[in-house]
Amino acid sequence: MQDHPLTFGQLLERHERELFAYALRLSGQRADAEDLYQDTFLAAFRAWPPPRRGNERAWLYKIATNRAIDRERRAKRIVANVDDLALAAPVRNDVALADLAGAIELLPAGQRAAFVLRKVQGLDYAQIATALDCSEEAARARVSEALKKVKARVA
Amino acid sequence: MTMDTVVAEARERLLARAKKEGLTTVGYAVLDSPLGPLWVAITPRGVATIHYGSEPPAAELRRLVRAYGPGVVPDRKRAGALARELDQYFNGKRRDFDLDVDLSGLTPFQSRVLAQTSKIAFGDLLTYHAIAKRIGNEKASRAVGGAVGANPVPIVVPCHRVVATDGTLGGYAGGLEAKRRLLAIERGAAVPAGGWPPAARS
Repeated sequence: MQDHPLTFGQLLERHERELFAYALRLSGQRADAEDLYQDTFLAAFRAWPPPRRGNERAWLYKIATNRAIDRERRAKRIVANVDDLALAAPVRNDVALADLAGAIELLPAGQRAAFVLRKVQGLDYAQIATALDCSEEAARARVSEALKKVKARVA
Repeated sequence: MTMDTVVAEARERLLARAKKEGLTTVGYAVLDSPLGPLWVAITPRGVATIHYGSEPPAAELRRLVRAYGPGVVPDRKRAGALARELDQYFNGKRRDFDLDVDLSGLTPFQSRVLAQTSKIAFGDLLTYHAIAKRIGNEKASRAVGGAVGANPVPIVVPCHRVVATDGTLGGYAGGLEAKRRLLAIERGAAVPAGGWPPAARS
């Protein structure tokens, strides 16, 4: 709906839950996830308007991903809290949550983001490419590389 | 603790930070009422919107964004005073509203019509035609009807007190049943079939 103006409130109501879950999956800690969630939306409000109407979701993921990677570079090490992670992540197949969380946690930041965006958040490759600021091909490559590593670890 | 509570708490802290930075301008909430959910918006000038329903109409959002930018955010606390006054009104404990209303962004004609509408006292009735007369444009009854119908702050600006010349209720954004109930609260009696013909009006 072109004539329906977009507001901060709508952006929050539509996307805050999945962005918070994403932040939780990326960081593994509730406190860090909340910081990431807040920083993401504040950055979006400050940078208003979104660059392309209808693409706000990928835009938010891009902001969140960049901030998560920056933060990790600064902090170096994150230890996932499995209880916090359980808020967001259902147990998938027969793989124990803790094992999966551990495997995801060991991925390099870029691959972890790609993996979570595709396998948990369910974004398509065009959206992942926007979020990660890379080509669709590169996005596919990162997801597939991450998947290989995760499979090897939980096997 | 569920995901919903965690996100709700995070949102509250996020909005406090956004407010401190001056990024947010308008607060909204969905209030429960005997007439169903009301979507309400509060601006720095006062109550700007009371809408019958839980989603804001596009035109109303446009008006808010034009006047105040995109910083329109959920804010139950800010809607608290309005919620209290509405409760008192619905419970027969309030006849007038103390809150300011914000009619910015309306045309001068709409503003004049709504200014007259605001003057109709609790329990009184006025016709579209009488309002047209009061704004010095006797022939504008139909346009007055349009402006009253587009009132963004029903209940507080009492457009339910405006009726047709023959005494029938005319229209109402919240539906005629809502108009009947509001008038019944104020007049202490159900609306008679056929409304109040001019002679029966007090």
